[in-house]
Amino acid sequence: MNSSTGSGGTLDAGVPQGSQPARSMAANLLSIRNLSKHYGDFRAVDNVSLDVRRGELMTFLGPSGSGKTTTLNMVAGFDTPTAGEILIDNQDISRVIPSRRNIGMVFQRYTLFPHMTVAENVGFPLMVRRVAKPQIAERVTRVLKLIRLESFGDRRPSQLSGGQQQRVALARALIYEPRLLLMDEPLGALDKRLREEIQLEIRRIHHQLDVTIIYVTHDQEEALRLSDRIAVFDNGRIAQIGAARELYDQPANAFVGAFLGNSNFLTGKIATANGGRYQVTLKDGSSIEAPARLALAPEQPVSVMFRPEKAILQSVSETSGFTNRVVGRITENVFLGDSATYEVRTASGELVTVKQPFGPSETKTRTMDEEIAVSWPHDCVHIFPIDR
Amino acid sequence: MLLTLQRMGPGRYVLYAITAIAVFYLLLPIVFIPILSFNASRWLEFPPPGWTLRWYEQLFTEEQWIGSIWNSVKVAFLVTASAIVLALPAAFVLVRGKFLGKTALNAFFASPMIVPVVIIAVALYGFALQWGMAGTLFAFVISHLILALPFAIISIGSSLQTFDIAYEKSAMICGASRVQALLHVTLPSIRPGIIAGALFAFLISWDEVVLAIFMATPSLQTLPVKIWVTLRTDLSPVIAAASSLLIGMSVLLLGISALIKRTRK
Repeated sequence: MNSSTGSGGTLDAGVPQGSQPARSMAANLLSIRNLSKHYGDFRAVDNVSLDVRRGELMTFLGPSGSGKTTTLNMVAGFDTPTAGEILIDNQDISRVIPSRRNIGMVFQRYTLFPHMTVAENVGFPLMVRRVAKPQIAERVTRVLKLIRLESFGDRRPSQLSGGQQQRVALARALIYEPRLLLMDEPLGALDKRLREEIQLEIRRIHHQLDVTIIYVTHDQEEALRLSDRIAVFDNGRIAQIGAARELYDQPANAFVGAFLGNSNFLTGKIATANGGRYQVTLKDGSSIEAPARLALAPEQPVSVMFRPEKAILQSVSETSGFTNRVVGRITENVFLGDSATYEVRTASGELVTVKQPFGPSETKTRTMDEEIAVSWPHDCVHIFPIDR
Repeated sequence: MLLTLQRMGPGRYVLYAITAIAVFYLLLPIVFIPILSFNASRWLEFPPPGWTLRWYEQLFTEEQWIGSIWNSVKVAFLVTASAIVLALPAAFVLVRGKFLGKTALNAFFASPMIVPVVIIAVALYGFALQWGMAGTLFAFVISHLILALPFAIISIGSSLQTFDIAYEKSAMICGASRVQALLHVTLPSIRPGIIAGALFAFLISWDEVVLAIFMATPSLQTLPVKIWVTLRTDLSPVIAAASSLLIGMSVLLLGISALIKRTRK
């Protein structure tokens, strides 16, 4: 299957490659340089730069209004940048019309043409490229097989489920072998089970065809599941780019820490620095340690972040725990089967969440209002400066 | 539902009666005129003393009647074609355009529906005389076009309004030029609006009489004008036959449009 549907030239794109010189095989397919889009005073995209490697699946993750879709639309050619460059294979395409970019796109809303059959929809990109009819039919069959809908060619889009429609939309975007595939929250309208099924499908096709994909989503779980790398967008800027593990373990700022996964945030200020560690005094008076990754001066107010699963609960009398420790009372207690989540209110009134997995040894459950110590290792702590 | 027929009790028979009267009132001319057209009497007599096809024979053999039918058909087709050709770009501008005074322009395009027809007629008549166009096919077409255009623009515009522009975008990212996207995606999608607009335009021209009376000369008349002129000189049942032809054509077109709607579903 791989050899017949792979991108190794068996399905030529059917468009003249135009002025494209001998295709350089640089590692980066797409480079965005200082890209901005302003609407009056509003900076929808504010000086964004990033590289997408050939064959990579990169997600643009962020809340709505963070600039991810606007950036995608500029790559597709539906929006014109206020400033900056978009390079594909080292050529600036920011002034090229969408139809000449040889980019595929799957939209959030179903955009199969309702008056055409599935086969006509999928063959549409070849039809407008004036590919001969028998060849279109052959390639349509092949790509419908790829998305496992080979017997649906004669149906109308209205006769398909939402998930099937998005798979057909994917086939339509793949049939002309675009150099880049853009997906704008393509599963946003589907229910959870179907979404996961099609996520697997997308992963499979990505591996099978080696196609470079940019995937826009606001769903962090989807981003973790699909991506080689994730670009986190915040307020028109890129907050951080990296592999999922990197973003989770080494968030560059409080926004990334809060957006990806669950986090605890406590406020405090730097007391002293020594031996690559900061002593931080928390609001409730307790003192904790954190790795000194950033250069911060004493008295600098900071936000102290750690993950709920990195902390453990102990009786106040126990002293065997980790370096860092705060004391409080349990205010919430949720049993989740494989784990339990506790909410602890500290003396300063701040809330700390602790996720306690029920492994082979841990079986204890805690009761409400119990006085308890939360303890966590210093190297799991991230501190972010707070503007004074 | 608060007000279902079952809950209304005997009161619902009042509703049935009112509905029946309304239907009867609306149907009366449509039924009455065709019956009279088969009337054997020389006068428009009711109930008819006997039946005949004589009046239809006269309608389809007398040169003046045939000529007026043919004129009506020609004018209606030309009006339909020009209305669609002009309404398509106008609807695009009104729906897609972003410019100052768009709302005003929208209202302006609807103005022929508000301005009394007789005023349009007088104005056009003045022009037609000055330019020596009275009694030409062209004069009929442009005057009917004024009435037909708002309907064509509105029906095309409303189907363009509901058309999701994302379809066009996805056609273009698939490699379609603007023209290809328009021809293969946009136009087929708004076809119901275009067909509705065309039917409106045809029907408006087909039974229009006020403007046509002003533009007509004894040598060039449309069917409604010929009916009107004949009516003033004698009350022959041929008029009923001609009227039945007008009604028949309108009913036929409405039937076709209903059929198209059904097969699309």
